[in-house]
Amino acid sequence: MNDCQAAREQLLDAMRGRLAERQRAHFAAHLEGCSECRKLFEREQALEHALEQRPRFALPDRLRQKLAAQVAGAGAGEGAATRVGASARRKRFGRWAAVIVPSLAAALLAVMLVRGVGAPSQPLIDEAINDHLRVLYAERPIEVESGGIHQVKPWFAGKLDFAPVLDFSGDEEFPLQGGAIALFVDRKAATFVFKHRLHVASLFVFRSQGLNWPTRTDRAIGKLSGLSAAERGYNVLLWQDRDLGYALVSDMDPKALARLAQKLTER
Amino acid sequence: MRCYAESMRGESTGSESLFAARLLDQAGALYNFARYLCRDPAQAEDLVQDAFTRALDAQATFVVGSNVRAWLFRILRNAFLDAKRRERKNPLIQLEDSDDQPAPSDLWLRGDIEIDRLRRLVARDIEAALSRLSDDGRSVILLDLEGFTETEIASVMDTAVGTVKSRLARARATLRQELQEYAK
Repeated sequence: MNDCQAAREQLLDAMRGRLAERQRAHFAAHLEGCSECRKLFEREQALEHALEQRPRFALPDRLRQKLAAQVAGAGAGEGAATRVGASARRKRFGRWAAVIVPSLAAALLAVMLVRGVGAPSQPLIDEAINDHLRVLYAERPIEVESGGIHQVKPWFAGKLDFAPVLDFSGDEEFPLQGGAIALFVDRKAATFVFKHRLHVASLFVFRSQGLNWPTRTDRAIGKLSGLSAAERGYNVLLWQDRDLGYALVSDMDPKALARLAQKLTER
Repeated sequence: MRCYAESMRGESTGSESLFAARLLDQAGALYNFARYLCRDPAQAEDLVQDAFTRALDAQATFVVGSNVRAWLFRILRNAFLDAKRRERKNPLIQLEDSDDQPAPSDLWLRGDIEIDRLRRLVARDIEAALSRLSDDGRSVILLDLEGFTETEIASVMDTAVGTVKSRLARARATLRQELQEYAK
């Protein structure tokens, strides 16, 4: 396979940031010297830019409510079968329990899921760690190298439907490496990558509306309240500021991560 | 590897809520995908509800730790294909795409002027061009834009990775040709 053929097969992977470091360097070097492949790459980028303008269809509220009732009903149905069977065996509760309890459970769960109240934080923690792994394994590498926050933040303009609020531009302890666009659950997120010695930290900033955001908080993050978790060897901090959600993930020491979070929330 | 039913054994209903929350987290993305597949808001709503019913029915077979997003998109796409089959009353319906179709010529886009034109397209042009793609072409483009890898798309579309690559290349070439009309 000649260089042009190889490069053309890698156009999409390169654009998606899925090339390994050595492949990426080889690809960039080839484009530097091959105007035809460079033009093809620009053409793919132009199409990508056009596709980013496609309409996004928001989930109608009535459908969201129907779906929440649907999943709540399914859960309550299973629970009801168990509960009714147990009731019959124990003969402890009357007939009303078999009718009222599942209905209440369904209604309560529906309300919780529609409002996102009391929903578990686990999906957000899983998502944050998985997205951080994509950063680490260069599936979603840095798309804009950092010359400071004032270079990285403007890069997001036009790529997101919100402006990420972040004032910390990195320092000697936590230098800012750059930024990228990531997908967080079902929405786009601004990704900021910081380093701390040999550790990498990813900060994902995204619109929090519609997510099942945890109501429980267990720590202060600057003037805000947040939630901490440690899973799969990674430490995660989640917090909200107005209508934006923040997820900070790294394998660095929890105290160092807390210091970084503190700096990120200072205004 | 444990399936969902095994993982649930002896655990509280909190895990059921977790599964429900995961479904609802994906509802927005599923609806967006359904809108592009069906090109009709009412049908898209029905499709998402059908997909949720199927997902809840199949909850016990979901393998814990596997990709819930890809699993849900696959369920939704299968529900869409089933609905189309029912609509046409032909269970052996052939999909519109054929892998031996040649990719359309895209020489028109090699100049800077054409690239500039493409950059000036607006949302309705893109939607119209996407709607003119085949179901498979539209699916592969949208799943790619959703951030799925080619391996994940292959899983969603129940096909080989190589087929995904060729479909994606062909769909993008077709899209460029479609957009040529709008970019003039």
